[in-house]
Amino acid sequence: MSRSDNSNIPPVIEMQNVGIRYGQGPEILSDVKLSLKKGSFHFLTGKSGAGKTSLLSMMYLAQKPSRGIVNVFGKNVNFTNRDSLSMLRRKIGVVFQDFRLLDHLSAFDNVALPLRVCGMDEREVRKRVKELLQWVELDRHLLDTPATLSGGEKQRIAIARAVINRPELLLADEPTGNVDNDIAPKLMKLFVELNKLGTTVVIATHSEKLINDFSYPRLHLQNRSLHVLYPSTSRFGGQI
Amino acid sequence: MTQQTNIINRKQELPLKDDSSTLFLKVMISIAVFLFAVTLAGVLSINSMLLNWNQSILGSLTVQIMPINNINAEKAREETLDHQTRAVRFLEGRSEIEKVTPLNDSQLEQLIKPWLGDGVNIKDLPVPRLIDVRLKKNAEVDFLELAEKLAEVSPQASLDNHKLWLNKLIKFADGLKMMALSVLLLVVVVTSGAIFYSTKTSLGLHQYIIEILHLMGAKDAYVAQQYARRTAWLGFVGGIIGLIFAIPSIFAISRLAEQIEGGIISDAALSVQAWSAILSLPLFASLIAMVTAYYTVKRTLEKMM
Repeated sequence: MSRSDNSNIPPVIEMQNVGIRYGQGPEILSDVKLSLKKGSFHFLTGKSGAGKTSLLSMMYLAQKPSRGIVNVFGKNVNFTNRDSLSMLRRKIGVVFQDFRLLDHLSAFDNVALPLRVCGMDEREVRKRVKELLQWVELDRHLLDTPATLSGGEKQRIAIARAVINRPELLLADEPTGNVDNDIAPKLMKLFVELNKLGTTVVIATHSEKLINDFSYPRLHLQNRSLHVLYPSTSRFGGQI
Repeated sequence: MTQQTNIINRKQELPLKDDSSTLFLKVMISIAVFLFAVTLAGVLSINSMLLNWNQSILGSLTVQIMPINNINAEKAREETLDHQTRAVRFLEGRSEIEKVTPLNDSQLEQLIKPWLGDGVNIKDLPVPRLIDVRLKKNAEVDFLELAEKLAEVSPQASLDNHKLWLNKLIKFADGLKMMALSVLLLVVVVTSGAIFYSTKTSLGLHQYIIEILHLMGAKDAYVAQQYARRTAWLGFVGGIIGLIFAIPSIFAISRLAEQIEGGIISDAALSVQAWSAILSLPLFASLIAMVTAYYTVKRTLEKMM
């Protein structure tokens, strides 16, 4: 997909003069300006406490900006009603750093969650979840609850849940932090494949190795500001 | 793998079954439905009682012939009976009257028996004579004109159309009915309040799960439906339990009412429609519980997140 093909499509995420503060405290992010085009792939970097999670939570519509404008899929989140925000969230897959799995549900039910809230037919749900859990090599743990699974297994369930609905935007917070070395490249390959199919991807990470192995542009947070850094070469051809 | 997926039973995302308020709500709704059923039975009984009184009493009137005082008891009795005959003849000639029945000695004896006991000879007592008058259906009666004409025929005769004491009784019954309706309203309000607060508590308890459901794209209605389904079921089960206790109580109260002499309360039998209304209370409880829970969730979520 070339840049000119996307010229008429609104950016997946667009931020103008965005600031975030909690209560009466100082702004933790100031004057953020950002535009993520459809099909782009970015890493999100910055020190702990730099505001990565806050920026991501605005992207997955869990938080509204304290000031400025945030457009998601062309819609200004400040003027979008609750039901429409829910419909926008269905196009977004999120992998949380702390997984946020539901402990009383099995691995299968956790992964099926985004499909079921959309009201998908149960047969289709079973087919899709089964296939994906096979792919992430968790088909032996279908009925296990998260409490009985290892950190890496939980992370793979969280990733499976994020991608099961074939999202248009995938946001991941340290998605390879807990998985074994042999699984990490496989998961990254999944993100790259989804990106090639048109999914816009943002991955927050501390891993220099990951950033160096996959030469995508970085959204770097420093001193409350967002800077876009471009790599010298782009091995996988992702779009900025 | 195929076998494994086949045995997967979909689990509710919100584990509402395990909420501590489940038992409280079930007991609360049972008590509410019990109170509602017994009170409703009372209201419907009063209604049917009023209807019976209106039909049976307003279609009739009583003419009283005051006894003539005379030292000669035999003569006095004859004169009184003469007045009665004149009154009966006059009444029979009226177009709005269907049937005129003067009460005979033994009937009068039956009437005064509760006060004076057995063995009273009516001939020895200066008691008024009574004439039961049945009016034609839908007849328009000018009671004042009738009473005046009757007084001309027999100055000893007076007319009683039962309105005075019936009105007092109807007023009393209406008062009872209003009180019972207030109890019904109060039961509904208190039950809805209990459902409202336990739902709010449960939403706070499950906030983490609800947040995740929202992030997965669930609308408020999706969460509200899970609460509505669960609470409707609790309302139905609680309603059935309440009804199981209420039905024997209703029967016991009506048995006690039947034992009251005078036949006034025995008119208070429940019709088939009344029983249908009482038996449908679990569905009514279920509906109220469902609607209350649904809107509580919708409103609370809008403010919460």
